[in-house]
Amino acid sequence: MLAALDRKLLRDIGRMKGQTIAVSLVMACGLMMMTTTRSLIRTLEGTRETYYQTNRMADVFGYVKRAPLAAADRLAEIAGVAAVEPRVVVDVTLDLPGVDEPATGHIVSLPEEKPQSLHLIFLRSGRMPQIGERREVVVSEAFAEANHLQPGDTLAAVINGHRDTLRIVGIGLSPEFVFEARAGETLPDNKRFGVIWMNYHAVAIAYNLDGAFNDFCIDLAPGANAATVIEEADRLLARYGAAGAYTRKDHASAARLNDELRVLHALSVAYPVIFLSVAAFMVNAVLARLVRLQREQIAQLKALGYSSRDVGWHYLKFALVIVVIGTIIGSIAGRFMGEWFVNLYTIFFRFPALDFRMDWSALGLALLISSAAATVGVIGVVRQAVKLPPAEAMRPEPPADFKPSWLERLGFTRWFSPQFRMALRNIERRPWQAVFTIAGLALATGLMVLPGAMSDSLNYLLTYQWNMAQRQDVVVFLTEPGSGKAFHDLEHLPGVVTAEPVRSVQARIHFGPHTRKIPITGTPRGGNLNRLLDSKGNTIVPPEEGIVMSAKLAEVLGARLGDEVQIEVLEGQRAKRTAPISGLIEDFAGIAAYMDLRAIRRLLREDSTINGAYLTVDNARWPDFMREIKDTPRSSIVLIKKEQLAAFRKTTGQMVNTLRAFYFVLAVIVAFGVVYNSARIALSERNRDLATLRVVGFSQREVAAVLLGELTILVLAALPFGLLFGRGLVGYILSAVSTEAVRMPVRIELTTYSVALTVVLSAAVASFAVVSRMLRKLDLVGVLKARD
Amino acid sequence: MASPVFLAQGLRKVYHTGEVDVVALSGVDVEFHEGELVVLLGPSGSGKSTLLNIMGGLDVPTSGTLDYKGWSLTHADEKTLTQFRRSCVGFVFQFYNLIPSLTARENVALITDISRDPMKPEDALELVGLGPRMDHFPSQLSGGEQQRVAIARAIAKRPEVLLCDEPTGALDVTTGLTVLEAIEQINRELGTLAVIITHNAAMAEMADRVLHLSDGHIVKTRSNETRMPVRSLQW
Ligand SMILES: Nc1ncnc2c1ncn2[C@@H]1O[C@H](COP(=O)(O)OP(=O)(O)O)[C@@H](O)[C@H]1O
Ligand SMILES: [Mg+2]
Repeated sequence: MLAALDRKLLRDIGRMKGQTIAVSLVMACGLMMMTTTRSLIRTLEGTRETYYQTNRMADVFGYVKRAPLAAADRLAEIAGVAAVEPRVVVDVTLDLPGVDEPATGHIVSLPEEKPQSLHLIFLRSGRMPQIGERREVVVSEAFAEANHLQPGDTLAAVINGHRDTLRIVGIGLSPEFVFEARAGETLPDNKRFGVIWMNYHAVAIAYNLDGAFNDFCIDLAPGANAATVIEEADRLLARYGAAGAYTRKDHASAARLNDELRVLHALSVAYPVIFLSVAAFMVNAVLARLVRLQREQIAQLKALGYSSRDVGWHYLKFALVIVVIGTIIGSIAGRFMGEWFVNLYTIFFRFPALDFRMDWSALGLALLISSAAATVGVIGVVRQAVKLPPAEAMRPEPPADFKPSWLERLGFTRWFSPQFRMALRNIERRPWQAVFTIAGLALATGLMVLPGAMSDSLNYLLTYQWNMAQRQDVVVFLTEPGSGKAFHDLEHLPGVVTAEPVRSVQARIHFGPHTRKIPITGTPRGGNLNRLLDSKGNTIVPPEEGIVMSAKLAEVLGARLGDEVQIEVLEGQRAKRTAPISGLIEDFAGIAAYMDLRAIRRLLREDSTINGAYLTVDNARWPDFMREIKDTPRSSIVLIKKEQLAAFRKTTGQMVNTLRAFYFVLAVIVAFGVVYNSARIALSERNRDLATLRVVGFSQREVAAVLLGELTILVLAALPFGLLFGRGLVGYILSAVSTEAVRMPVRIELTTYSVALTVVLSAAVASFAVVSRMLRKLDLVGVLKARD
Repeated sequence: MASPVFLAQGLRKVYHTGEVDVVALSGVDVEFHEGELVVLLGPSGSGKSTLLNIMGGLDVPTSGTLDYKGWSLTHADEKTLTQFRRSCVGFVFQFYNLIPSLTARENVALITDISRDPMKPEDALELVGLGPRMDHFPSQLSGGEQQRVAIARAIAKRPEVLLCDEPTGALDVTTGLTVLEAIEQINRELGTLAVIITHNAAMAEMADRVLHLSDGHIVKTRSNETRMPVRSLQW
């Protein structure tokens, strides 16, 4: 048998189902975000952990120019090293049917004498190449999918200048390529980049590396210190042209995954906090009003012998019912959203299986947090209600002492209609309630700004990066640095209009305790293709003395404009020098560092070498250009701007659009919820006044004006705060989702603000319509007869 | 005579509203005994409700003492007062103060849910003649019926005291009589001390004792030799 008081609770909820649902939904939005993000974190972290462990992801990575296999045995002897895998890793040009541009095949050798000890391949289908087979390969899954490759298909590759046909025997995955993209590339372009696993001898012989390796990975023993191992490995391999070993922190794929998790962690807090605050405001408003209306019922309950605590608990239960509904909806929705997001993640991250794992602890936490939010929203109200001695509460509430509002006291009265004055005075009488309503509305408005800002920011990024900064059509990189002749060849490819030489070199930049391994690109003075722009959009030219870098890189290093950084070249003579930071680039993807081409060459003691070029190509001769460059043996990486743009739009663009739609829906729910709730509350609080007005002869319309006037004042007051808050929120969220890989600039177009205003105002109009209809049905006599 | 149920001595109550102090009770000495039916008479504002509320633990006196069966209610804390109301007192007010979202039966159940040895809600409602209308909501009942639900709710916990503040104030004569009959019947059959506030002098005839209040004082006390049956009251 349900206690009578609980029946009352159920009936009260039944009568207020619109509002109960509105508040529950807002709460559900926050909880959904929380469940989704926390489950995603759990899924990604859990899956990564198992994958890294099962398939033996290495801890330290590095490459050398050419080291004998015996050197690998020496590496294995370093204290703290559990396993070493020496390999040959090269980039080759692939000729794919139906793809005009050359694609890059990242060949990784497979040991033949013994099984793989690190980065074990997970075979999705097919088999591993047979020992001794020269042409059998396993290709990476994302690449195979993008190009519709299957075991049994063949693949044309230019291996060290020779065209060869490779036979795909398997499709596989590796923990070192969870994020499968070219080194330094921030976004996957699976059509044009793929990993190819091939027997050691086949590659090593082709590149004259038989009996040697140019890449290695090390598995550390538990508790080993990575820094000392790296130091020792660098020392051992220095004479083989080691480029400096690094840990997972700098590993392209591992770092990307880390970044993503960091973003999720940030979001798993930010969003729930906002939504739950709004929900707490709403609960407070609903309960405050309910308690005021039931003032005499409360007194009666106390006269009957219910204690203050019983009564308080009764109203708190109302809030908890909202919480429970919100939690149920939120966690179910969170579960489905999570699964859906996991699918989205497979665009970026490849695991043998990325199975959604619900974070059940999130559910408990959600319940706890939202109960706390609701309790905070309720406690003051209830405390006030039960404090009243019953004898007092039972007397009809004395007429509230109104006074002219401050606007009127300032002398503006003349311009106000009596209705408007009522509205003003009502607001002024319960200023806190007004503040809470405004706060809720402002949060809702602010949330509305975010989705638009996301696409504004994305559009800006695309225009900026692709139209203003990068004016070249193609970037070509060579497998080996070449002489002036190599540049001459590139310059004279069919269709090339302008060409600028590039010499980039692997380096480590030190500043104080911070260090970053990054290629430094030398660009020619007077170069015009790849423009380096600062935050004001001005072109920066790297001076003879000095280095120009991404603002983000400086931030990572903790350095500022003008600071002297240490540059340690990781190739050739391993030259060292210092250089002042002479410019900060405002770029949005990856981090980069540039120097004057001559300065780089001087550092390397070279005169006219290049290892790449920026090109612009005549559109009419594009096919010719493509055909030729595919056959240029030494060009290993060819980045085509418009392809990159398309790939970007497909991946990040799709992700952003999805998120945008998602946030938009959430924001609409909140906007409608908050406005509707406020309107309902205003109606039920004022219905006696309004009925009185009707009885003395005011028209429907005039009466509605009182009510809607009050709401309109609140809505209008909330909008500016909302837009301000929205701006802040955008700044926070975008900086939270910004990583070294992709940074979203904060751009908010006027249309975004207008959309936010429009939606909130529409929500207001719709809620007003509902309330006006209720107002028309107001039972005049009934309302007046009831003693409250 | 047995010891009184209520013993009030020098009871004062002053309300502070804004700048003015309103003296609602200015030194009341009075006793109430078991099984009595007492009527409080007096003009509006004379302090009747204040006295009743203090007796019922809904309010506390400013000074003076009030004992209930030897227990002091004067300085009782909120918890004690709640316990006192829960187990000893039944209230009936002029405005029935039913919970509009609960049916008649459920309104009575509100009290039976929390008392130690209550009647069944149905029995309490039978007692006031509302058996057939148990599942109606307050809005579906007439004023007299609502008031009888309130009485059923007040007596369902078998209180020792039934305090009624103008129970017929909002009712017409015939309906008022049925309500008074119900109270009288409870007093007679269950031996509950009943205190009824009214400003209708005709009702004095049904009482054992009549107290007249004016300006916060008891100005006159009268005992009736015999109680007149409610049906024969005239006003
Ligand atoms: N809670 C209160 N606050 C202020 N004044 C009160 C309050 N309750 C009663 N009074 C005042 O105390 C006096 C006695 O009131 P009350 O006991 O209700 O009179 P009665 O019930 O005899 O009409 C009246 O003047 C009334 O206005
Ligand atoms: Mg009174």
